[in-house]
This record gives sequence, structure tokens and C-alpha cells, in this order.
Amino acid sequence: MEICLTRIDDRLIHGQVATVWVKESGCNKIIACSDEVAADPLRKTLLLQVTPPGIKAYVLPIDKVLEAYKNPKYSDFKTMFLCTNPNDVLRLVEGGVAIKSVNVGGMCYKEGKTLISGAVAVDEADIDAFKKLHAKGIELEVRKVARDSKVDLMSLV
Amino acid sequence: MIGLIVCTHGKFSEELVKASEMIFGKQEKVKCITFEPGESADGLVEKYKTAIAELGEKDGVLFVVDLFGGSPYNAASRIVAQHENMDIVAGVNLPMLLEVYMPRTFMGLPDLVETAMTAGRNAVQSFSGTYGNVVEEEL
Repeated sequence: MEICLTRIDDRLIHGQVATVWVKESGCNKIIACSDEVAADPLRKTLLLQVTPPGIKAYVLPIDKVLEAYKNPKYSDFKTMFLCTNPNDVLRLVEGGVAIKSVNVGGMCYKEGKTLISGAVAVDEADIDAFKKLHAKGIELEVRKVARDSKVDLMSLV
Repeated sequence: MIGLIVCTHGKFSEELVKASEMIFGKQEKVKCITFEPGESADGLVEKYKTAIAELGEKDGVLFVVDLFGGSPYNAASRIVAQHENMDIVAGVNLPMLLEVYMPRTFMGLPDLVETAMTAGRNAVQSFSGTYGNVVEEEL
């Protein structure tokens, strides 16, 4: 399985945004990786509903993603991985997914989080996960839209 | 690159382009024209001519306007009728704009017009019309 893009966006697939990132990354599959969303039929269906034509999308719990990633049956997948938070990305990496770069697109502000850019809010657990990813040599770049220039996330925390 | 002129009744065009840039990022060669209460179609033609001169696009200009037959459309048609490398698509919506931003750098005008119309039409969907049809394949 080829990784075209790994993106953190707590809205996951949403409408036309998905189309823009699909074109930019050249993927033919989208895998939304989240235990929580995979267990929520409404959110799951909404994601599948807005998937651009010509692309297959899946919403899977992390363990299932790891299984699929290692399965040679899916070697022709050019995949965009979507996660809602950095800890899930870390679980993918620790589970053996060869992620080199993470695009941090949007993490909504909630109470207890700190806004570090226009669209990214983090708490201690997020920063901790980002530090672990950074320590593994993984690029962490903040971009709201594909055309923006990359901003190094570590310079913001 | 084909230049875009977005024109609508009121400030809709400006806000529509701002909304599209939230998703797609900043755009070059796009002009927003507003048609305000009390303005004449002649005034619009003048605004269009200024915008075309500023765009300076040899590859052509696509007008995207809100209403077929409305003043932004009618004024644009007076210009387009005299230029081979210009066209108008009415019924502009956000998905239409997003869909033409990239291809206008490499497509010819007739293809871009087709792309805009298809994107605009396909964007109209209902929750109830699609919700039941969503099937996830097993992995």
C-alpha cells in the first residue's frame, strides 16, 4: 500500500475539501482511521457520502487499518490516511505504517486546548504525541489548504 | 491561464470567492464584480472592461454569474458576443468555482465551460437522496 498523504483533520472527509486534497495527493483510496468514528454509524456514513467520485473510502478502527496496510492484497492502494488526532497517527506508526510526513490540517479548539495556528488547537496529550512522531524523524507540517506553504508544527508548540 | 470574472447581485461574488479561498487557497487571475442597487447594465459593462484589461489574459476569460438572464449575465453577454475567447456560465456556486480553479491553468475554454457546468449541477444533492445508498465495501 502506497501512502500518498497522511492528514490530521478532525472533520476527516468533508465535502469539497476532500476533492481538493484527493487531487493534490493523487490517491485512489481514502482510509479514515479512527476507533471512535468507525463505531459511529452516522459519522461513518456521512464520510462515505461525501467521498469524491472515483475514489473508494473506508472508515476503519486503527487495528483494522494495520491489518489492511500489511495485506499484500491491497498493494495497489494509493491511500490518503485521515486521522482525527496525532495519537492515532502514532498508533499507526508504532504499528508499522511507514509514514514519513504528516499534514496537520485542522484540530478544532475545545476547552483545555491551546490554539497554535488558525486551524490547529492542541493539548498536552497532542503535544506529547507530536513530540514522539518528531523524534522518529517524521515531518509535521501545518497547512490548512493544499496551496498554503508548509509550516513546521514543532516551531509552533 | 483562463481569467475568471465572478459577478453577482450584491456582494455575493466577493464572499463566494473568499469562501472558495478558505478551501482552495489564494487565487490568481480572479476578479469579483458586484452589481449594486441603482447600478445600470452599462455601468457593469464598464466594470467588466476594466477587469478584463487588468486580467490581461490572452488565454481567455470565463464569466461566472449568478443568474441566467440577470444583469450580470446580460452585461457580460454584450462583451462575450464580440470575443471568441470568452464565455459565460450562469448559476455559480461554491463547488463550481473550486472545480474550475485548477483546470483553468491547462484547459481550453470550451472544456472549462463544460467542467464548470458539470460541477455546478453535480453539487446539488440531498441528504435523503444519498444517505440510503451509501455502502461501505469490506476490506
